[in-house]
Amino acid sequence: MTFFILQVLPYIAVMIFIVGMVWRLCRWLKTRNVHNVVLTPTPKTSCGVAVRYVKEIFLFRSLFNGDKSLWAGAWIMHVTLAGIIGGHIVGFAFLGQQFIYMGVSADTSVFLSKLLGTTFGVILAVALLYLLYRRLSINEAKLTSYFADYMHLILLLGIVSAGNFMRLVPGYSVGFEVPKIYMIQLATFQPVTIDPLMNTAFIIHLLLVQILLIIFPFSKLVHLVGIFVNRLTVDRSYVEPAPGMPVANAGVSVGNAASSGKKTT
Amino acid sequence: MPHIEVDGQQIEVDEDGFLITIDNWNEGVAHYFMKEEGIEELTEEHWKLINYLRDYFFQFGIAPMIRKLCKESGFNLKKVYQLFPSGPAKGACKLAGLPKPTGCV
Amino acid sequence: MSVNKYTAPAMAKEKEMRALSIIPVSDENKVKEALKHLKHLVRKFRPLMLAMESCTKCGHCAENCHTYLGTRDSNNIPTNRADLFRKAWKATHTLEGRVFGKLVGAEPLTLDTINKMYAYFYQCNECRRCALVCPFGIDTCEVTFAGRQLLHWLGMVPSLHASVGEAMYRTGNHTGLPKPGLVDTCEFLEEEILEESGVDIKIPIDKPDSDVLYIPSSADFLLNPETMMGAARFFHYLGINWTMSSAIAEAGNFGLLFDQRYTLRFNTMRLLDEVIKLNIKKVVWGECGHGWRAGKMYVPSMTDRPVPVPIVHLHDETAHYIRTGQLKLHPEVNNKPITLHDPCNFSRACNLGAKLREVLNPCVTDFREMTPNHERNFCCGGGSAILFDDPGMYDLRIKFSAKKAEQIRATGIGENGDGYLVAPCSICKAQFYPILEEHDLGVQVKGLIDLVGNALYPPINI
Repeated sequence: MTFFILQVLPYIAVMIFIVGMVWRLCRWLKTRNVHNVVLTPTPKTSCGVAVRYVKEIFLFRSLFNGDKSLWAGAWIMHVTLAGIIGGHIVGFAFLGQQFIYMGVSADTSVFLSKLLGTTFGVILAVALLYLLYRRLSINEAKLTSYFADYMHLILLLGIVSAGNFMRLVPGYSVGFEVPKIYMIQLATFQPVTIDPLMNTAFIIHLLLVQILLIIFPFSKLVHLVGIFVNRLTVDRSYVEPAPGMPVANAGVSVGNAASSGKKTT
Repeated sequence: MPHIEVDGQQIEVDEDGFLITIDNWNEGVAHYFMKEEGIEELTEEHWKLINYLRDYFFQFGIAPMIRKLCKESGFNLKKVYQLFPSGPAKGACKLAGLPKPTGCV
Repeated sequence: MSVNKYTAPAMAKEKEMRALSIIPVSDENKVKEALKHLKHLVRKFRPLMLAMESCTKCGHCAENCHTYLGTRDSNNIPTNRADLFRKAWKATHTLEGRVFGKLVGAEPLTLDTINKMYAYFYQCNECRRCALVCPFGIDTCEVTFAGRQLLHWLGMVPSLHASVGEAMYRTGNHTGLPKPGLVDTCEFLEEEILEESGVDIKIPIDKPDSDVLYIPSSADFLLNPETMMGAARFFHYLGINWTMSSAIAEAGNFGLLFDQRYTLRFNTMRLLDEVIKLNIKKVVWGECGHGWRAGKMYVPSMTDRPVPVPIVHLHDETAHYIRTGQLKLHPEVNNKPITLHDPCNFSRACNLGAKLREVLNPCVTDFREMTPNHERNFCCGGGSAILFDDPGMYDLRIKFSAKKAEQIRATGIGENGDGYLVAPCSICKAQFYPILEEHDLGVQVKGLIDLVGNALYPPINI
């Protein structure tokens, strides 16, 4: 079983993820923007649109303008999640040594890496718990939620908790070296040499991530890509036609009209 | 289609109770609708409005602008509402046998 | 016809639908037909597809929808309204829906759902406030549009919308006003202007070789005389060679509201034909919210020919002439406490929010903003012409306008019973006439150009 999770499932999961996302995106891009459905006021230039686009996608502008607590929960959740995914990649690449380039010692760099990772992990778990609490406690959120909506949060919570467990419980840490070697072996299609029994938390972490990858293209999680496509539909520049009407006998009429209006007061 | 029965005659109306064809109108119809609208009796003032509406409709194919109705009849809008509690469009037009006004009204 | 257990407007009869060239589908075939249309619509329209597949059900739209705020009916939460469509889409066209069913919010389409669609897509005001607040920009208005289109093809259209569609085919306007009636009404308004302001202003109809074609809302000929008079005063003041057309005396386009194919295109082409016939140089649209959205945003994508002339809104023009100082205004004649209701289509779909204020401010002395305003404003509760009189629906109109009443009351304009609520849209006006009374606000409804007209030619007996 662990062999399957460690050696076989990763390939299946990544394939399903990639093929699924490409299929989903093609399905969306086959549709058309038939009419102009911009939300006004619109930016007047492409540059303005780009600014709006960045604000919406990276700062959740619409959410911020509407509901600050949901914004806080959602934004922190997404940012820490992105940070952690980035952290994983940096970790594989530099083994925690990346801060050396900022002038600190190797030990300090590793310490900082661990500190950052752990902090983000904890914040992410808190943010996810808040979002779950919100879905369970606010009536409107309850009225709109399906079973799957809770499960997505619980799945993410499971992944993060397994990660945090490895970070926080002594003896369960996998360090930087082991996952790196594992990743390289997977990427180069070699048999993995990781000891299957060495760390249950790691196996669970890995399994849940693979489940996430598999369901991702077939769930609402595709909003990750959806937001880019949809924002391009409603946030566009619009240039107004020039004002001013063809005036037949301008000077005369305007003057007369204005004065006759005045006379009658 | 719903019907109303006036003096033993079946007359076709729409869901809101307006006549389908104005030709089916007679004074009995106005008296029939009067009860529905909660009007106790049709006075001369009622008939003045009803007749004005009908004349205008036969001439121009539509009910007159409310402002014109008030001006030509000499009744202000408040008075019109006193005479026809559901208003000129939904009350007076109905009694006069005109079709229900359409559009954003 | 099965009895609808949901609160819904009276439905057009077969005869009325046939007048719109639609043969109603029988109850047995409805589900099958609906699924065909559903597939066609979702596969075609990107905003609709995105609404089906990328909503995260965060529920942020709930508290921002006045129909939900007014009724607390969970079907009126925008994302749940979209679910009427989404459930069927998921059940038939997505892998997750076919595998997990209800767990992921998928449910096969039934006749009951179709009846529910008829009820709740006609309880949506298509105001787009949900699109504004949605973090992804998902536009539930697009789902309502598609839903109403599907229902139209099934033969399920409210009597009100169907009768308007029929009147438009027959006469070129929504009220069924024939040319003699139009001419008579305009002559009456000319007399009224002369009497009020002492100026002789002509309101021309079908005048060939005019420069400007003014597209009024036909409700202005029945209910809102001051709006028509205001526009006439404005054109006259600038000495413009303008006319209206008896073939298209209608700013509204109910095609947008129930049939975005044939009806929308038919009305649009009617306009272009008149532009050619009367040798028009510029089209100026009157005070009608959804109609201006159709005119501004849908004409380019609906017409079968290139649009030969610019199409602008009346208040694009008034704002321009005020900005450039070409109008001498007398704001002292509009000295009542005044607030402005932003029509949804103007502020969220047509970029007019700022211009309305540019026009209103110099025309009045006591303008008070309501909160929220501009694109964050709430709908009047009649949006998309759900101006139904059936008792259940009328009751809903009152509930939908509860948020609006709260906003108006907070401005304090009605405290002395003489406030003006400026609502430059015929549907808003038609909704407000009875609704302001229902909420007992002490406020009168006015159009925006009404006040401009007054400020240009002050009344004699002031």
